[in-house]
Order: sequence, then C-alpha cells, then structure tokens
Amino acid sequence: MDKIKVEDLNCFYGGQRVLESLNINVIKNEILTIIGPANSGKTTFLRTLNRMNDLDANYSRKGSVFLDEDNIFHMNMEKLRRRVGMLFAMPIPLPMTIYENIVYAPKRLGIANKKSDQDAVVEQALKDASLWNEVKDRLDSSAMKLSGGQQQRLCIARILAINPEVILFDEPSSGLDPISTAKVEESMIELKKKYTIVLVTNNVKQASRVGDRTAFFLMGKLIEIDKTGTMFVSPKQKQTEDYITGRFG
Amino acid sequence: MLKLNPKLSQKISYSVLLFATILAIIPVSVIVFIIIKNGASAITWEFLTAMPKDGMRGGGIFPAIIGTLSIVLCAIAVTLPIGVCAAIYLNEYAKDNLLTRIIKLAIVNLAGVPSVVYGLFGLGIFVMFLKLGVSIIAGALTLSIMELPVIITTARGALNSVPYSFREASLSLGVSRWQTIRHVVLPNALPGILTGAILSIARISGETAPIMFTAAAFYVPHLPKSAFDQVMALPYHLYIISTQIPNMPKNIIFGTALVLLMMVLSMSLFAIIARIYFRKRRKW
Repeated sequence: MDKIKVEDLNCFYGGQRVLESLNINVIKNEILTIIGPANSGKTTFLRTLNRMNDLDANYSRKGSVFLDEDNIFHMNMEKLRRRVGMLFAMPIPLPMTIYENIVYAPKRLGIANKKSDQDAVVEQALKDASLWNEVKDRLDSSAMKLSGGQQQRLCIARILAINPEVILFDEPSSGLDPISTAKVEESMIELKKKYTIVLVTNNVKQASRVGDRTAFFLMGKLIEIDKTGTMFVSPKQKQTEDYITGRFG
Repeated sequence: MLKLNPKLSQKISYSVLLFATILAIIPVSVIVFIIIKNGASAITWEFLTAMPKDGMRGGGIFPAIIGTLSIVLCAIAVTLPIGVCAAIYLNEYAKDNLLTRIIKLAIVNLAGVPSVVYGLFGLGIFVMFLKLGVSIIAGALTLSIMELPVIITTARGALNSVPYSFREASLSLGVSRWQTIRHVVLPNALPGILTGAILSIARISGETAPIMFTAAAFYVPHLPKSAFDQVMALPYHLYIISTQIPNMPKNIIFGTALVLLMMVLSMSLFAIIARIYFRKRRKW
C-alpha cells in the first residue's frame, strides 16, 4: 500500500530546476533509500516531503505529493510535520536538557500536558531509540554534552515522541563513526515495523544494508527504482551500475 | 623599493598596532582622572541625597538623579518591547521585499539623525501637538524614539546569533513558528537583547539635547509627583551649572559630572557582567 505518492513533482531553486517530473511512491512500513551523487536532488526531494523547503524564499515547486489521501501542499504545515518527522544530517539537539528535548514538541503540540504523561513519553521514546540505558540517570543534564551518536539517537527519540507516520532521514550518519552508524541503522530497521521510512544517503553500502527498495537519482531525475537486492545485483540502467560500483560520484 | 627584514617589519607593525590601542585608552583615563581629581571632594552623602540650595551653588543634586533615572527607565520601558517586537518581525517573519527594505532603510536613517533634531521633534509632537507638556513622559518618549533603532539593531543581532538549525529542528517537529520563537529563539537571544538594552540605558542617561526641550527643567524645588511633571536631569543640570550660573564652585560641577559618569559606567559594567554570566550559561 502506498503511504506516499508523488505525482509529476518539479522543484526549482531560483530559476533552476533541481527535480524534474518526479513520479515515485513510498510503500507503508518500508525503508526506501535514495542514493545519488551530490546535486542529484535527493535532499531537495526529502525536504519537500515535510515542506521544510517552503521556508526558503528561493524555492518553488509544481506537482503533487499525497500522504495517504491528502495532498501535502494543501495541508497545514504544522500538521504535516507532525505526521512526517525529519532527522537531519547533523544532529541538532536543542539547547536544553535531554528530558526537555524529548518533551519539547509534545508539550507545544498538547500531546503530553501532565508531568506523569511527559515522564512516560520520555522513557518510551528513549527506549525506542535505544538510548534509555545510556542516559536514564542524567536526563537533567544538557543534551549538548552527549556524543554525536547519542545526540543523533536523541533526535530520533524526539521524533518518536510526537509519534509520526513517516520518518525522513537525511544522511543521518554522515557525521558519525562506524559504531554509531551501526546503531542508527539498527534502530531504523526496528522502526520500520511502526513507521514508514525514507532514507537519503551518500553511502551506497548503507543503502544496501537497510533499504527495502532503493531509488537512484541523478541530476534531478529518478533514473531507477527497484528492490534493493535486485538493484545491487542487476541494475537495469548503465548509470546506476556505474554509480553503485563506484565508477563515479 | 625599501625592503625590510621580516623581523624588523614585524616589530614595527606590532608597535604601531599597540600604539593605536593605547591611544584609545588615554582619553578615557584622562577624562576619568580629571573628573575624579576635581570632583571627588564634592561627593558627600548630602550631595547625593539633598535638594540644591543657594542658587544651586550648594546642597545636593538629588532631584536631578531622580529625574534622570525616571526619564531613562520610562524610555526603556517604552522602547524595549517595541524594539524587540520589531526585531522579531524583521528577523523571523519579514520576507525580503520592498516594504522590508524601506523599513530597514528607515531604521538605519533613524540612527543617523542628530540628537538635537530628536529634541525638536519631541517638542513639536509630544510637548505641543499631543499636549503632554514638558514632562517626564514627553522626554521619555523622545528618548525612546531615538533609541529605537539601536534596540532593534542589537536585538536583531541577538536573534541572528541563535543558530538557524535550532529553528529548523523545532519546526520539523510540527511546532509552530511563534512557539519556536517563544520557546527556542527568544530564550537564547535574551542575553544579547538585555545587554543591548542596558547599553542603551547607559547611552541615553547622558543625552542632553533630546530632553532639553521636552523634560528637563532649570530648577524644580520638589521631586516629581507624576509622569507629567517637569524634572531636573543630570546632563542638563551639568550644562546649566557649568555655563549659566556665575561663581559656581568647580568641585560641584566636576562632582556632578562624576555622578553622571559613575551612573553610566556602572550600567555598562552591569551589562558586561550580565553578558559574561549569560555566555557561561549558554549551552552550545
């Protein structure tokens, strides 16, 4: 079943087209990974899905994107982002304690108003992001003091606390060491039971490890999309093969 | 062309830079030294807390201190909220269009207007047109308009210093724009905003021209009872006793200057301490 359906999406920065007549779907509870060299439009695509790009005055778009039945461009932005969470390339903890980071959005959105509810949200989110055991004794210390990998998992927990339907990962392990990367990947695979995941990555191996399906973008166009296993064994397009085998990009 | 060896040119440029820096300190130290030397003898408990007497040649400067404090506090109470709101609008909401550019241009120009022009403007608008009379409130409003561009500019600087990524992180969680400003941006910009406010207070405490026609009186034999009263003010009082009154004891002139200087310096010092404190508390 399609969770997200993209129909003829074109995106522009200034006058320049960075995504060209894109048609793509994301199936419920899958991990769709998007690979491609720099400037291929992967991140633009991802940031279109929760309309983060709309904050940029230079950005414009045509086409439609459906989340279930709703066109996201007709939706209230706050409501959309509540349903479609996003993890950025660099971990961005807010300058407050670990506890406050997690309850920040639930409080503002009115999900958890009572202290007991907030405690429960924090514990559950941190457990789901497999960070609970490491931080349960110092929830009141600054989130800025965590290591990079822990910060990234904190950011995952922060998203889980608002219980979205889709989670977008924008090169989430570009700043992390291999062990932290493995932990983030583990949690992604765990998360797809409940959530639909779109992962943009520079790391082709990461795509082959966690992706159910993989899409290859090049110069703003979708070149190929297929089951990850199929794509990495027998890509249909020459460009895909060249990229996966490391001949360019 | 003359070629210097690197060691020598290093020494020369170091000396020039050091000399320039020392030049900046000298005037401050000389001013402070002269004022303290001539004025310290005037500073007594009576001087700070009593009314003037003998045609201001004796007694104290208490009403002028109170007058300056009340004008300045009223001014900052008006200008700070307006300035911060404007800064939030310009920094967080305004799109880059013609209107925004005109507003920004207006703010820059407002900052360049000579202070005596503000004084005349205040006289025309607040004292006469709005019939507030020469009063604390008219003077405070005049000063607050004069200080608005400074408050807006420093507040914008403070808002800008909060990393953009914090806003993105907050917005990406479905939190609204205003909530993001209220709970993430403002708390982290507050130290900078406060520092700007305190420095503004220090600056307007010493202004003479804007209050000369709008708030300050030559001599008022009692303390102000409401915001619509005329008051004495330190900078204007200093101007009067040093130019208008014959046979003024020198130490009272310098003593008054010393009190004004100490008020301004201690507020700047307070701003510096507050900045250090908030910087230490910052979590990124």
